[in-house]
Amino acid sequence: MSRAEAAMKKAISSDWTQVVAQVVKHRDYGANHLWLDLEVPRSFRRPAPGQFVQLLLRAPAPVLLPRPMSVAGVSDRGNRRVLGFLYGPVGIGTRALAQHAPGDRLEVLGPLGRGFPLEVPGTPVLVAGGRGVAPLLFAAEVLGHAGRRCEFFFGARNKAALVGLDDAHRQLDRHGGRLHLATDDGSRGLRGTVVDLLERTAARLPQPLVIHACGPHAMLEAVGRWAMRRGSPAFLAMESVMACGTGVCRGCPMPRSADHRARYLRTRGDTPSLYGNAEYAMCCTEGPVFSAEDLDWERVD
Amino acid sequence: MPGKTPRQSSSTIDLSVRIGPMTLANPILTASGTFGYGDEYAHVVDVSSLGGVITKTVTLEPRVGNAPVRIAETPSGMLNSIGLENVGLDRFRSEKLPKLRSLGATVVASIGGETPRELERLLDALGSEKGIAGFEINFSCPNVSRGGARYWAVPRRLEKTLQRLRPLTRTALIAKLSPDVTSVGDLAIACEQGGADAVTAVNTFVGMAIDLDPLEPKLNRTTGGLSGPAIKPLALARCYEAARAVSIPVIGSGGIMNGRDALDFLAVGASAVQVGTLSFIRPRGAAEVLEEMTAFLVARGVKRMTDWRGGLLGESEARREAARRKA
Repeated sequence: MSRAEAAMKKAISSDWTQVVAQVVKHRDYGANHLWLDLEVPRSFRRPAPGQFVQLLLRAPAPVLLPRPMSVAGVSDRGNRRVLGFLYGPVGIGTRALAQHAPGDRLEVLGPLGRGFPLEVPGTPVLVAGGRGVAPLLFAAEVLGHAGRRCEFFFGARNKAALVGLDDAHRQLDRHGGRLHLATDDGSRGLRGTVVDLLERTAARLPQPLVIHACGPHAMLEAVGRWAMRRGSPAFLAMESVMACGTGVCRGCPMPRSADHRARYLRTRGDTPSLYGNAEYAMCCTEGPVFSAEDLDWERVD
Repeated sequence: MPGKTPRQSSSTIDLSVRIGPMTLANPILTASGTFGYGDEYAHVVDVSSLGGVITKTVTLEPRVGNAPVRIAETPSGMLNSIGLENVGLDRFRSEKLPKLRSLGATVVASIGGETPRELERLLDALGSEKGIAGFEINFSCPNVSRGGARYWAVPRRLEKTLQRLRPLTRTALIAKLSPDVTSVGDLAIACEQGGADAVTAVNTFVGMAIDLDPLEPKLNRTTGGLSGPAIKPLALARCYEAARAVSIPVIGSGGIMNGRDALDFLAVGASAVQVGTLSFIRPRGAAEVLEEMTAFLVARGVKRMTDWRGGLLGESEARREAARRKA
């Protein structure tokens, strides 16, 4: 088993909790996005980059189910733990969330899922598409604190859609990483996709590269296929509709690749029932971060 | 009476209910498919405090479930099309049962089959296993192509199947019914005549949701089962219908989100209730429903669960009787 594989094999933990959280800051982040800081008790386990929580609006709420949201930052202040989120109010749930002011309460269940295996040795190459930048800002911070330089690739439709670009700059200035930009219309950085940018730049970076990416599925597929062609490990934060987020409802299947399926069948005896089955992995427990090789991209939605 | 009785502690209230040969400490059960195999939420809920835990439906062979998308949220509800994903009989027996036994909970195993013969084989294998207090036969999955709600919604088939299953276990035999039928009461009567100890009313309602751009169903299998508060009034009416139709216990299910919802089902004649979708939202949901229900009953000075059960049914029967006398 490769080290990358070993990293992904890390057992899921059932040490999530559901707690009442208080909004401490909610600010305009530009380009129709918001940054939300939620205070939780220190007993809430510290999420890792790529992990997510379930945000549950308190009644009366226009939605029934909690909303899975990736963590964009964590800071500890005394006995308080503050979780940061970057999101766009695009649906009924997130628009209702956007109405929350400092002091308002909601419920948080987490931390959930498996994050990016940042410990895999090599040059961490963080690849963000649009608002997929959220968990990668967090990853850059964690890598920086560990004294590791990262290469940060950021792509979007246009300059305005590079949400959080200033924060990305700040993280990288502080910790000595490098930022590489691409926009479809060329309004900032390379004109083209983030994969075009990777293709041009990769050979000049210190090898081996380890890719950690988050963004729209079409972008993740392109990044994943590119990484597989050049033999670089790639870890991709996937999205799915979810109900529970903990593996119980079986609502978020991700089709496994043939290799992954064979591996699953070999190790089935040790597989927790909250994981998926031979055909499908569960996005919430085995993901949301998957190795590119583990998914059947022909069948990913 | 309401409000005039001094507060009592919950220890003075007898919440126990009987379902055939099975006695539950209280009427709150977890609905099949919403609580895993019993141990998944055990770190946040004391499952032994609940009336019982009903497992995910187990079939003879493992099932991988339906292709995504399996979940869609709708106003006050959710559609699911999981497709009976489960580990199958062998792994259930070797891996899940030992865990279930160690939970200290009353365990009801949900089983599902495409034919009466498959159900016979499942009950043959599990009917005498230690640690299973009863079986709920899933006669009502809306999300499979064979052996689902439509196949089983035939009174004669239910009755004959239950007659074949009855001798295979001395534990409780519960039939979970679909609401998408002409008369849940008729199905309940068939189950009673077939030898079931109880019926569950009801499973999810067949529902559908679509996206307009691009125009396609939200769920891969087009339709799914609707659950959550959206179905509570519908489920309550089906439960009421079933409770009036049969003398065996009825287990109410559908959109229970709090203690008052549970009391509604019990008032229309349910002996016990199942909490389902709520567990996805609040893993401690079933325990919270129990706490709220108990507090309500204690505040009312109710001493036994059975004193509350069927309150509405009894009242309406009495009214009907009075009307008859007048006429």
